[in-house]
Amino acid sequence: MIQRRRLLPLAATPLLGPWPVQALEPAAGEIVLSLSGRVRSPNRRDRAVFDMPMLQRLPQLSFSTRTPWFVKPRKFTGPLLRDVLQAAGAHGQQLRVSALNDYRVDIPADDAQRWDVIVARLIDDRPMAVRDKGPLFIMYPLDSRAELRSPLYFSRCAWQLKTIEVV
Amino acid sequence: MAMTDSPSPRRTPWFALSGLLLLATLLAAVFVQVRQHALLTLTVQDQDDYAVLSLYQLEVEYLRLREQLRKVESDTDRELRAELQLRYDIFLSRVDLLPTIRARRLLGPITSSVDTTRALDAFIVRAEAYLGADPSRRLGAEAISALLIELDLLGEPIHQLLLDASHQVAAQITARRSQVQRHNEVALLLTVFLSGMVMLFASIAFRQMRQLDHRRQHLETLADQLRDARVVADAANAAKTAFLADMSHELRTPLHGLLGMLGLVKEAPRDPRAMQWLGIANDSATHLQSLLDDVLDLSKLESGTLALAPQAVDVAALVQESCALMQSQADAKGLQFEARVEPDVPPRVLLDPTRTRQVLFNLLHNAIKYSQTGKVVLLCRQVLADDGTPQLEFDVTDSGIGMDVEALAQLFQRFSRAEDPLARGQGGTGLGLAISRNLAQLMGGSLVVRSTPGTGSVFSFRCALVPALEPVAAAASAPAALGRNLRVLVVEDHPINRMYLGALLDRLGHHSVHVENGLEAVAAARAQAFDLILMDVHMPVMDGVAATAAIRALPADVAQPRIVALTADVFADTRERCLQAGSDEVITKPVSAASLTELLLRQFGAPQLSGAASAPSQPSLKPNQVLMDPAAQGGVRAAMGEQRSQALYAELFVQANETSRRMRLAMREADIDGLRELAHAIKGAALNLGLPALAEAAATLSTEAHAMAAPQLALAVQRFDELVQATRSLCVAEGLIEG
Repeated sequence: MIQRRRLLPLAATPLLGPWPVQALEPAAGEIVLSLSGRVRSPNRRDRAVFDMPMLQRLPQLSFSTRTPWFVKPRKFTGPLLRDVLQAAGAHGQQLRVSALNDYRVDIPADDAQRWDVIVARLIDDRPMAVRDKGPLFIMYPLDSRAELRSPLYFSRCAWQLKTIEVV
Repeated sequence: MAMTDSPSPRRTPWFALSGLLLLATLLAAVFVQVRQHALLTLTVQDQDDYAVLSLYQLEVEYLRLREQLRKVESDTDRELRAELQLRYDIFLSRVDLLPTIRARRLLGPITSSVDTTRALDAFIVRAEAYLGADPSRRLGAEAISALLIELDLLGEPIHQLLLDASHQVAAQITARRSQVQRHNEVALLLTVFLSGMVMLFASIAFRQMRQLDHRRQHLETLADQLRDARVVADAANAAKTAFLADMSHELRTPLHGLLGMLGLVKEAPRDPRAMQWLGIANDSATHLQSLLDDVLDLSKLESGTLALAPQAVDVAALVQESCALMQSQADAKGLQFEARVEPDVPPRVLLDPTRTRQVLFNLLHNAIKYSQTGKVVLLCRQVLADDGTPQLEFDVTDSGIGMDVEALAQLFQRFSRAEDPLARGQGGTGLGLAISRNLAQLMGGSLVVRSTPGTGSVFSFRCALVPALEPVAAAASAPAALGRNLRVLVVEDHPINRMYLGALLDRLGHHSVHVENGLEAVAAARAQAFDLILMDVHMPVMDGVAATAAIRALPADVAQPRIVALTADVFADTRERCLQAGSDEVITKPVSAASLTELLLRQFGAPQLSGAASAPSQPSLKPNQVLMDPAAQGGVRAAMGEQRSQALYAELFVQANETSRRMRLAMREADIDGLRELAHAIKGAALNLGLPALAEAAATLSTEAHAMAAPQLALAVQRFDELVQATRSLCVAEGLIEG
């Protein structure tokens, strides 16, 4: 169910690598994702912010999975969460995730390393509007492991993603 | 002999049953667990509580949208408008979740959900015109008011939906919990049951271990018994070897005496002492014969083929006669010798005089042998047995050396003799007392001894007392008794024996023809009719057994003579072969004038005499030594007819052989109860068909097998088997069944 693109070796390096991190390019368009807290390469004050093209430029991953929010399996496409975190130079244990609908959940930073969690920006290859639970949707590959099909991981799939606070 | 209960086949169904039960229980436990697992998975997948959260959030978003709409109503600020758009979109994304909740069947039972969804859809259609991705109308103040009124109307149904759903979830949780509880209860029951089964299994295993232990102990006991039996057998074997060595010595001594005396007479026939020498020679020969008789008797007693020949006897005469013969011995040792017959003894009783005399001789001989001074007394009187029946008792009291307890214990054992150097030189075969006791028992009595070392012993010989009604048989010459002269064919390869038999027959007034072997005998029997054939067994050309069979097979127009086989064998086997071939009787050589007379009387005598002589069903006899009861057999034959009684006897022997085989099997498997049942089953049949010896042997096994040691039991079973064969041979000879 998971279609992986060939990833750069860099993408697999750990979050807390001691080497210097390249500064994140400034965001040109509308901000869709903002990382705060322990980020090493902020691009707007103390935050690392992303517009849609920046996310699109990161390596993309697609997979289809069943979810509790859609009757049928859907295909999700977007950059890997760990790549987004690395681009922002995030170094922390927890990701405090907030959504437009004021939904909040804590995700262990480790999850991004253990599984191919993506920040989905396309559903069935089309951009997601807010009414479609967009524009960004944190998606775990729920169908790849039995252990992921549990309320715990369902709760970590935050839709209408707005900000991530790294702590 | 401890028996292990419940043989293995009875245990198997128990084992299989509990095994099956255990398996079923395990399967049930697995089933319950699988069900529990499925239930758990279902709970995870259904996420009903999560759905309630979604509905709750839907209401929240609804309230926020309404609030935002109110704000926008009073203000037309752009930012508020953008915020309204966001709130509307988020609300829409919440409404989108309703189908997934309905897919989980949570909203199914809730009737209001359809109406609520329809109302929501209607509102969205209207709102899309202003707030959709591609708005067709401008959101003016009027439109906002209209939307607000509609939105207000949605408040109550959405709230109701949330409440209904949470109630539904609560009900489902309760249902699932009770289901889990039921499963738990079932699982608990199964666990209890499993524990029970495990305990049952354990107890079965324990029982088996205990049985194994018992069996092992039993085997050890058996091994001990076998070891003991071997020791006993070894001892018996050693005793026999010693006995044979003794016997050869004992036999040589009188033979030397005989030859020596005869030599003296031959050298000097005119010597005045010749008569004395001949007397000594005669004594030696008699002693020699007595030794051989003892061996023969013992063999007969052991094989159970010794038959008594009771006849009317004058007891006083018998006692006198016996004492007269012993008087000289007593005189020679200077002993007083008295014999007394009490007046209460009937003058004539039914007795086998030869065997009675044999016992008396033995007792008197011993009394004289072991007494150096004093006197020997023979007292004959009538006593009552323990069961009240009258018995004839002969007490022989001596003043000899007496015996201590140990010697008494050894007294009646075969091949044992008092360790007395004096006695050793005085002859005796060491078999006398063993034979005497056996004879006494055969005669329905006993032989007991009381003794005090140094003062002497009293031997009491008892036998059944049966008064005789007929006059005492006169010891007249045979022709007078028989009333006619017989034509006798003597078949004997040894010329001296031929001459001897011829002379004897001649003296008794019978006519005899002599031939040298079986072939000539058959030819003679074919050519001429004989009353009697005296047939030697061991002969060249054709032996006696074959000749007898050939004569019996002669055509029916040839008159069949009586055939009496003569043999020097003491083996029961020879005897059986002769009877099987068709001999009427088998007698043992040497043949004396007396024994020949008795033989002729038995075969051709007056009816009442032959009746007395060959009446095995006399009440005085113990039935166990009689192979056949003619009266009972006659009854069977009369009742059933010749053919059917033959079939009956044939069947009995098939059964008896099978019983014998199975008894040996049962003995090997230590199944004593089984063996006793087998014995009991055959006993009745044998008794009904008039085979008392067989019945008695079976009865012994049936009642005493459990009390017997292994070797005893083996002997008893072997004896039963031998009796089956012997009885069968006899029945064949009697024509009861076909060989």
